[in-house]
Amino acid sequence: MKMPRPMDEGYKMLIGGEWVNAGDGKTCSSYCPANGELLAGFPDATKEDVDAAVKAAWKAFDSWKRMSPPERSGLLLKIADLIEANLDKLAMVESLDNGKPIRETTAVDLPLTIDHFRYFAGVIRAEEGEAVMIDDNNLSIILREPIGVVGQIIPWNFPIAMAAWKIAPVLAAGCCTVIKPSSTTSLSLLELAKLLNKVLPPGVVNVVTGRGSGAGQYILDHEGFRKLAFTGSTEVGYDVALAAAKKLIPATLELGGKSANIFFPDAPWEKAIEGLQVGILFNQGQVCCAGSRVFVHEEIYKKFLSEAVTAFKKIKVGMPWEKETQMGSQIDGTQLEKILAYVEIGKREGGRVAVGGSRATGNGLEKGAFMQPTLLVDVDNKMRVAREEIFGPVAVVIPFKTEEEVIAMANDSEYGLGGAVWTKDINRAFRVARGIETGRMWINQYNNLPAHTPFGGYKKSGIGRETHKAIIEHYTQMKNIFINLSEQKMGLY
Amino acid sequence: MISRDTQVEDIVKIPGTVTYFIQEGVSPITCSGAYPQTLGRLLEIKNVPDPDAFIDGLNAFLKERSLKGEESRTP
Repeated sequence: MKMPRPMDEGYKMLIGGEWVNAGDGKTCSSYCPANGELLAGFPDATKEDVDAAVKAAWKAFDSWKRMSPPERSGLLLKIADLIEANLDKLAMVESLDNGKPIRETTAVDLPLTIDHFRYFAGVIRAEEGEAVMIDDNNLSIILREPIGVVGQIIPWNFPIAMAAWKIAPVLAAGCCTVIKPSSTTSLSLLELAKLLNKVLPPGVVNVVTGRGSGAGQYILDHEGFRKLAFTGSTEVGYDVALAAAKKLIPATLELGGKSANIFFPDAPWEKAIEGLQVGILFNQGQVCCAGSRVFVHEEIYKKFLSEAVTAFKKIKVGMPWEKETQMGSQIDGTQLEKILAYVEIGKREGGRVAVGGSRATGNGLEKGAFMQPTLLVDVDNKMRVAREEIFGPVAVVIPFKTEEEVIAMANDSEYGLGGAVWTKDINRAFRVARGIETGRMWINQYNNLPAHTPFGGYKKSGIGRETHKAIIEHYTQMKNIFINLSEQKMGLY
Repeated sequence: MISRDTQVEDIVKIPGTVTYFIQEGVSPITCSGAYPQTLGRLLEIKNVPDPDAFIDGLNAFLKERSLKGEESRTP
């Protein structure tokens, strides 16, 4: 099937409700990682462009923050409806720009995006505030007020879903935003911006595009934000946190991971084999909470590994726009190079490739950044391949004997983002889930990331929780109005 | 010649550099893209004990690759 072309040839940024080029006319380009074809151009924002976006956001904020919750909720629902009406186009743009299969963008990325707006539409209607009589004469009212204009930077692995994770709560909280997608995958947010611009007042959401060292850094440096929000690497997370600290503003960070996917002998077998695949092959393994350390009880290790290898060999790696494709291309050649480098490191450390380990080729795949689904065995938890985030369809498989041992190994990591335990014993499931220092533990599933369930990291995996009403606290400030109802003076003076 | 002030975004466009970085224990690219600041800043964040040795090694690696005429990568 020939590659479809649903996107525009060129895009502009959305600033103050207007579509604008970069102030100096410079542009970046997006390429399809499956075949290297140019998709579209978009602006490489200047410092002045970011400044204009911040000013537009502040201009919009005064009236936006006063909009009633029912009205704001209604707009969130309209946005969800518009995305749903344009699902097929948005899904294809996302697949072509990112390389992920159309079956995933259609069945996962876009539905999750739509639901995010609907979830937060509901959250603000259910918010009732707090009031309490401290004593007979004193009434304490707690209100949450929008924090103001926020700066948001999102990654390339789930561009439109990450945009929803950031924009939906911003709108729900009554804030305005300047948001920047990754320069590798800007197109779906720019398409989403077209829909947002039909619904929202100008300046509430501003989309600036460009390089991380350009537009991204201008956002971190700008004094006009009251909060920063970032999803990406731990390395850049440090810089975001530092930028926020210098301005004494809060930052929420969703960062990297090296999560443990743990299989006990009583795991629901076929579901578990699939769970291994979902954990490391979904989105080509380019998931911050990917189950990239697979711990298998020694009792089932040989059989599990054998079936896992068979399952991995059957995975259909192919062009992202084809419906039968189960795994698309990595985001680009540099990411593929990184993955292959880690496979070599794994071998040098004494590990062995049980399946995969090389670029996927044949049927035109040579033109793109395709990787074979890969399992590394004879690995221990101290090796680099077990400790460093590879961000590809590569998992290490490590046997274990006891619960205590696997919990200790799972916790022997600087990260704490995701993880799973596969067992039918609910007591064991809870013991392991509670024993592991991580923000999300799945039980008998993996990579299920709907709204309504808080998601975020422990340790170097981040600060704050998203995909849940808890994030509203990060986009608001607490105001206490404390009223004295007595008409008598205190008698102090 | 790559130095501490070279932007990592520009370095990773050179074929083979990512391999060197990974071999030396520093990832220059992640889900946010290439690290958006200078090489010096990345080496600082990653607590590389001898940044000058890293940079010298990178330059030597690239020189060797260009002498061998080694080429490039996928899109």
